[in-house]
Amino acid sequence: MDEDQSAEETTFVVEEITTVIKETVESTIGNNSYQHSKINQWTSNIVELSLSQLTKLGKPFKYIVTCIILQKNGAGLHTASSCFWDNSTDGSCTVRWENKTIYCIVSVFGLAI
Amino acid sequence: MEEYHSGDEVSFSPDEASNVVKECIEGIIGGVDYSQNKVNQWTASIVEHTLTQLVKQGKPFKYIVNCAVMQKSGAGLHTANSCYWDTTTDGSCTVRWENRTMYCVVSVFAVAIAL
Repeated sequence: MDEDQSAEETTFVVEEITTVIKETVESTIGNNSYQHSKINQWTSNIVELSLSQLTKLGKPFKYIVTCIILQKNGAGLHTASSCFWDNSTDGSCTVRWENKTIYCIVSVFGLAI
Repeated sequence: MEEYHSGDEVSFSPDEASNVVKECIEGIIGGVDYSQNKVNQWTASIVEHTLTQLVKQGKPFKYIVNCAVMQKSGAGLHTANSCYWDTTTDGSCTVRWENRTMYCVVSVFAVAIAL
């Protein structure tokens, strides 16, 4: 059991991080409609809050959080990521969220120190 | 000119990475229009080529390359990044590119490996 605990502390746990991110996006955008004047604030808020929640988890990781907010108007958007890292310890997760007028995509990359 | 000794700390060079990225984008979507059935292929090629070129530089870094391609149709798009790392050795660079029918935003993050 002891071994399991220490393994948990040093690997990237996708479920935990997904939950953290979903809450952050909900609390920042929630039901609001796309507003050009607020968008800057929202993206900054989301990445900063997410990052502080992640660092609070206290794991030995460096983090990169990216957030994309897109207005729903029929445009096509495609994103891709490629990573060169240590497969056994590093990981990423992407959360896609939407409401009536906004798509929000948040990616978290965790790299073990 | 002093030679670099292997004991020196290497830090990320955003300008070099920026050039690598620009060449990759130009090479893949240089003169073409947005096409829904090809865009999957384009984003995958851009991130893979960029990553390969960066790794070829042989520096002691882990890399993350992110690419977003968006059709030009008047929609608003906003992206933000936040990073928790060692600011003396790690770094990132973002390249924004466009042509007549699409926008392309590529971000490269480099995290130093402790040797």
